[in-house]
Amino acid sequence: MNNPVLLIIIPLLLAFVSVIIKKAGKWILLLGVLINTVLAFFITTGETIIGGFLPPAGINLVVTQFTLVGVILINSLMLLTIIMSIDLVGKYSVILLTALAGINGMLLTGDLFNLFIFMEITVIAAYILSAQAKKYHHTITYLIIGSVGSTFYLLGIILLYHLTGSLNMADVAAKLPLLTTKELLVPILLIFIGIGVEVKLLPVSGWVKGVYAHANRLIAPLFASIIAGTALFVFGKLFVSVLPLSDTLTMLILVMSVMTFVFGEFAAFKQKQVKEILLFSSIGQAGLITALFISGLVYAAVILIISNVVSKLIMFTIAGAFTEKYQTDNYHSLSGVFVHNKITGIAFTIAALSMTGIPLLIGFYAKLNILIGFFHAGNYVLPVIVLLMTIVEGAYIIKLLLALWAPGKEGQVSLESFAVEKKQLLSVKNTAICLIVALVLIVGGTLIDTTSKIVTNGQPLLGDESPYFIISQSKGGE
Amino acid sequence: MTFITVLITLLALSVVTYLVSLINNKLGAYFTIVTSLVTLLLLFLLKNSIGQLASISLFTFKLTTVGWYFSMVMVVVYFTSAFLNPFWMKKMIYPAAYNLFYLVSLIGTIGMFFARDFITLFIFWETVVWTSTFIIQMGKSRKSSYVYYVVSAIGSMVTLFAMMLVYQVSGTLEISVAFNALTGQPVLALIVFFTFLLAGLSKIGIFPFHVWLPMAHGSAPHTFSPVLSGGLVKMGAFIAYISVSAFAAYEAFSSSFTIMGIPAPIYIIMVLGAISIVVGTVMAIRQDDAKKLLAYSSVANGGYILIGILLFDQLAFAGGMLHLVSHAIASATAFITIAIVAHRTGTTKMSKLGGMIHKMPITYTVYLIAIISMAGIPPMGGFVSKWLILQGLADHGLLFIAAAAFFGSIGSFMYVFRPLSAVFLGQLAPKHENVKEASIMMQIPMYLLTIATLLIGVFPKIILKVIAGIQAEAGIQEIVMVGNTIVVANGVLDTFRVFVVFGYGFLIALVIFILRRKSRRVTLMDTYTSAEFVHTPELLHYSSNFYAPFERLTKKPYPVLNLYEKVSIKIKEIGHMAESLFSSPKPAVTIFWIIIVFAIFFLGGVL
Repeated sequence: MNNPVLLIIIPLLLAFVSVIIKKAGKWILLLGVLINTVLAFFITTGETIIGGFLPPAGINLVVTQFTLVGVILINSLMLLTIIMSIDLVGKYSVILLTALAGINGMLLTGDLFNLFIFMEITVIAAYILSAQAKKYHHTITYLIIGSVGSTFYLLGIILLYHLTGSLNMADVAAKLPLLTTKELLVPILLIFIGIGVEVKLLPVSGWVKGVYAHANRLIAPLFASIIAGTALFVFGKLFVSVLPLSDTLTMLILVMSVMTFVFGEFAAFKQKQVKEILLFSSIGQAGLITALFISGLVYAAVILIISNVVSKLIMFTIAGAFTEKYQTDNYHSLSGVFVHNKITGIAFTIAALSMTGIPLLIGFYAKLNILIGFFHAGNYVLPVIVLLMTIVEGAYIIKLLLALWAPGKEGQVSLESFAVEKKQLLSVKNTAICLIVALVLIVGGTLIDTTSKIVTNGQPLLGDESPYFIISQSKGGE
Repeated sequence: MTFITVLITLLALSVVTYLVSLINNKLGAYFTIVTSLVTLLLLFLLKNSIGQLASISLFTFKLTTVGWYFSMVMVVVYFTSAFLNPFWMKKMIYPAAYNLFYLVSLIGTIGMFFARDFITLFIFWETVVWTSTFIIQMGKSRKSSYVYYVVSAIGSMVTLFAMMLVYQVSGTLEISVAFNALTGQPVLALIVFFTFLLAGLSKIGIFPFHVWLPMAHGSAPHTFSPVLSGGLVKMGAFIAYISVSAFAAYEAFSSSFTIMGIPAPIYIIMVLGAISIVVGTVMAIRQDDAKKLLAYSSVANGGYILIGILLFDQLAFAGGMLHLVSHAIASATAFITIAIVAHRTGTTKMSKLGGMIHKMPITYTVYLIAIISMAGIPPMGGFVSKWLILQGLADHGLLFIAAAAFFGSIGSFMYVFRPLSAVFLGQLAPKHENVKEASIMMQIPMYLLTIATLLIGVFPKIILKVIAGIQAEAGIQEIVMVGNTIVVANGVLDTFRVFVVFGYGFLIALVIFILRRKSRRVTLMDTYTSAEFVHTPELLHYSSNFYAPFERLTKKPYPVLNLYEKVSIKIKEIGHMAESLFSSPKPAVTIFWIIIVFAIFFLGGVL
């Protein structure tokens, strides 16, 4: 209906405008994100050719149901983040608009080289944003690892171009099965590591802790839910529909994903700072999501991404508010902080419970689909790992929630007077947004047939035909 | 009236309760009483619509006799404990949330007992788990809430695995149908049996999952401990019931290796039940905190219920189901009386109490009757149920389990006597000189529950009739009653006659008590000191170090909690290792890992 290229052009254009009109920067940013979010709801599936050359020679944008979900989700989350933290935008409006253009480009493009360009745009914006915390050491680390990742990705697609003579995703996907596994090993590996840096897979996620742990209320959700969510969608697009994986390669990537999942959750279990718990849990969840993509369970992965990025948006926003108001996010020093901020606490709790997969929240629906999918594929090991990790996850989340809700020493009845000093964590507007977003998690997890209809629109995502849970299944032979 | 109407009415009422509590939390607490009473009445009316199917959104329900039975027990416990809620509102950090969660967990249990498919069962189960987790944190300890959640989560996640596995094999989520697909697949049936039962075991507090009970029961808000012990623990029994009825464990393992005539998998679980009886009894005797003592006794009694239900026959099953009620009522009563003592004196430590009988005679009497039932002494409810279980065990010739059950019965004399003598009898501490008897409002639940205990003991027929219905529904031989007499293969039990005999005994004792010389009251300060001034009379209090010889016998407590802590420490260690290996702030480390990944992939890709 409308041209998806607008999603990239408008923020880019407004970025230049906001350079000129510096004073109105944050309003231009808000306008750009708002327009993008509205437009995202009106794009339809299909292919858009840019520049007049036909693919594979020309450049195109491909909108499938999968990308559509990604575009709508990511743009809406961006809008919410900006609305919530517009007071912190300051001089970053240009960067944020550029990042938005890059993110939409990453999601929409149908060309491997364009993906590289958009990824660079996003990542460079991310380097600048990460410098906001003034921990330049961590920014440099991120810069180096990120650049290595980008270079690897670029090398990978150069090799693919050499092998197939094309950079168009659909064209490459059609040509790759003709190649041998050994020829494909190096490019796929390079691309995997390149994407892995942004997805936060384990051996290449060394930068995450430094960057996330010091990010503020604006930057933290931006990294944890928006950039991470985009990277996951891109990972899914590449590794499900473009790059064919041999059995060994699938196995190796699966092992790495599962290792990321297990180690991430274990590391989160160990932490004492709210943001560090959340960032390691993000790493863990990213591992699970990539494992799902590699196993072909696209629908379950998408639901898990939705559940995760939405939860993390709320939780990182509130965790950012902790450091902002109390100069710490160690949960022992924040004991009883929600006594004074009950509604904020409720939003945080709902998000956290959804993350651990408590029923009637969307996280549970994701978990259900993961189990059904794995069992259907005849995989009985991964469900066990998923459930064991759910226990670990539940343990650290409940420990966190208990500390934040119930002040007082062991052996004492918790009382309001034991709580940390009273401060308003979030403004009324932000509290309301957090609560509404949290309610979305409940609605999405309760009306699951509607959720599945919205997400899939009746067509399998990226050709994923594995079954997922719908309500009528529970009603069996009635 | 449909079940959905009931469910929605209750949900609406709990929301109303919450809103009222926001304005006036004491009024809201009264609303919890009203709502649970309404629940009780509505459920009672539902008895006529047994067999009804209902569904809403993704939930499906089927009204069964067994579900009705379990939920009646639950509602009775919730209703009677609710009478205490108004008195504790001031001590809660989140009174409105407490009232809401109190009712939501009640609805959760009802929904779970009537669930027709796995998803409904699981959702309601988890609802109960997290609402109760948030209630327990309002008590004395956050750690106990954490342990409770983690142990529950272990159970429910493993059970979810079983449910999804069965769903994958059978293609249906309906509980009564799904398990049929397992016939002819013994290995799968074995996996499903153990994993499915785990949530039940963790909830009912079977060894080694019993660690949460003393912690959670001991430190939960005093008003919620009766619900936890009398009510929520019994959810585990329901899972055990499913595993023998819908899952038909006896048929599934009919060809498997048997021990003393019982299929080995079932026997293993029964042995765990027997271990829980022993462990619960021994640990209960050692406790100084009255609530922890009762919690350990719940562990032991959970063992009885589990063994009874798993035997799934005419006698022991009826005994197990009856014990469910009699223990629910007795333990709720005991916890309520301890809660009232704690309300008046501010402590549950037995060594700090004593002589409460002078100040709270009614509470004392109620507690006495409850523990008589708990110890299984006629003519109270606990006697009939334990008698039936032991009869069943004897019928099957299950020697070792019967030995554990006997041990538990005798040990229970020791542990129920300890609070009796340490809290109620003995000398009154001077600081408790002004303690008052429970108020009328608090007395109501005590009267109701005591009458119930007596009724079950004297006329168990009222309950056994329903149990016979459950047995008919499950397709096993029904328990036979003629008049007030329970007829079993080894003989008969006329509970009314037992009551009359004990009544005579009581009368004779009463006459002696009235006629005898009045005793002189001594206070705690009347300690004989041979010319020395006593600085610490508490240490000379006879109830400190009550069972010292016994405690020396069982000095080393078994290290189950340590096991959980060790696992937790190991997870933290691995987490720390992962963090230091992979989250180094030095980019060089990342580059090193990239090289390693390359090496592995090349090897893997080439091979």
